[in-house]
Amino acid sequence: MSLQKRLASGEFVVMAEMNTPKGVDISQLITNARKIKGRVDAVIVPDMDNGVMRMSALAGGVLMQQQGIEAVIHLYGRDRNRMALQGDILAAHVLGIQNVVVVHSEDMANGDHRDAKTVDDLDELGLIETLATLQKGKDLAGFDLEGAPSFTTGCTVASYADDDQMAAELEKARKKVQAGAQFIVAPPVFDVDRFGVFLAQAKGLGVPVIATIFLIKSVGIARYMALNEPGAHISEDLIRRIRKASDREAECLRIAGETIAALKGKVAGVKIETNGWEHRLASILDYAGV
Amino acid sequence: MITAERKPLAEIIDCIGENRRILLVGCNECVTVCAAGGRKEVATLASALQMNSMRHGKTLDIREMTLERQCDPEYVEQLAPFIDQADVIVSMACGCGVQEVVRRFRNKRIYPAVNTKFMGASEGPGVWAERCHGCGNCLLGLTGGICPIARCSKSLMNGPCGGSSKGKCEIGSDVDCVWQLIWDRLKELGIEDQYENVIMAKDWSTERGGGPRKIVREDLA
Repeated sequence: MSLQKRLASGEFVVMAEMNTPKGVDISQLITNARKIKGRVDAVIVPDMDNGVMRMSALAGGVLMQQQGIEAVIHLYGRDRNRMALQGDILAAHVLGIQNVVVVHSEDMANGDHRDAKTVDDLDELGLIETLATLQKGKDLAGFDLEGAPSFTTGCTVASYADDDQMAAELEKARKKVQAGAQFIVAPPVFDVDRFGVFLAQAKGLGVPVIATIFLIKSVGIARYMALNEPGAHISEDLIRRIRKASDREAECLRIAGETIAALKGKVAGVKIETNGWEHRLASILDYAGV
Repeated sequence: MITAERKPLAEIIDCIGENRRILLVGCNECVTVCAAGGRKEVATLASALQMNSMRHGKTLDIREMTLERQCDPEYVEQLAPFIDQADVIVSMACGCGVQEVVRRFRNKRIYPAVNTKFMGASEGPGVWAERCHGCGNCLLGLTGGICPIARCSKSLMNGPCGGSSKGKCEIGSDVDCVWQLIWDRLKELGIEDQYENVIMAKDWSTERGGGPRKIVREDLA
């Protein structure tokens, strides 16, 4: 069943994020993807994640489709103007990509090509509107298209530090949904009970909510995030649990899996971010029981 | 200088709406030189707004002021005694001036009456042309003192494109091909060899790569 149909039918959706290589060696990407084929509903391919130059998401998405895995690709406005973005969107459809998520772009100053010129012709809302316009058979200049593309379009909700920021982010999400977003990808969940507050409010958006499962890979990462991402609500108990585990790596995978299991029935689905541990995705899915 | 053009009157009228007490503020610097927002333009706009209002049977209470520099807090402070008597401020300064007034008077609505255009120079009476893009990493020493970033339609760094013809740019016969100007200038100076130098991919981090820019001079702070 396609991602679109699963979202529409209310079936729990499991998506895994997989980055393209910085180079042309796709062996690792393909190997990792094959390991989870049939166990996830789609693979999300970020584009230049964290502002790091890599093979484009369009190519990564096509590679997933070639492996028989439904792809979702990221789109953002930092590096391409509306001409290039529209061209890539049309290309994505023709190459079999059926799903896109419009995401925030990391500032150029935080990436690995700090001397590159920032484009930012379209922001997230503008890009969602562009997708909607193209799907109606028109381009942004008002010209008719020879055949309109179609996509399931998602958008993201940025991390928030407190309730006020959460409300502001949800307001932004409301605009994105009005512009055409059909599902939202929520920030990483580390405390399922607290996440309930977000979910209760996000329900008003009227679209499926995908929760992000961010794999904490070490005590150091957990501590860093607890300090720098107060909205993540990483508890001391969670940090202690990893620290005291005989096999810390396995414990991290178990925590991610347990979070997925706990979210089942509460959200439309999950997106798993392993931050370089794509080869461990299968273990997370095992722990999650999906 | 920073150049600007006055917005269409209808747009300004629309912004003012039903507000009757207007503090109309010009600037004595760049926008005076390019005849967009100096004392004279403030007076002209005030008359136009008043005439429009009177046509609708109303009168406006317009206070006209032209500051020495609207981008300088010391001069913006001169508006303080008159702020409470205004429903809205209409600024005829460039975007820098508008925002300096906002920074000082946070609770007052302000509308721009000009469109800020570019950093340029006067080429003749009533003609201003773009000269500088403000890229933060000046290349003029490599290009004979003529900027290809601001003045080439494509911001090409290494010679003209195929659209250069008889010294003009493909986008219009009134637009000089900047690479023709650069070549002519290098020849005049007898330094044509400099044209052979390849300018590598430019470092744009000094432009907007790091977000809004700021200069901090600790020796002056």
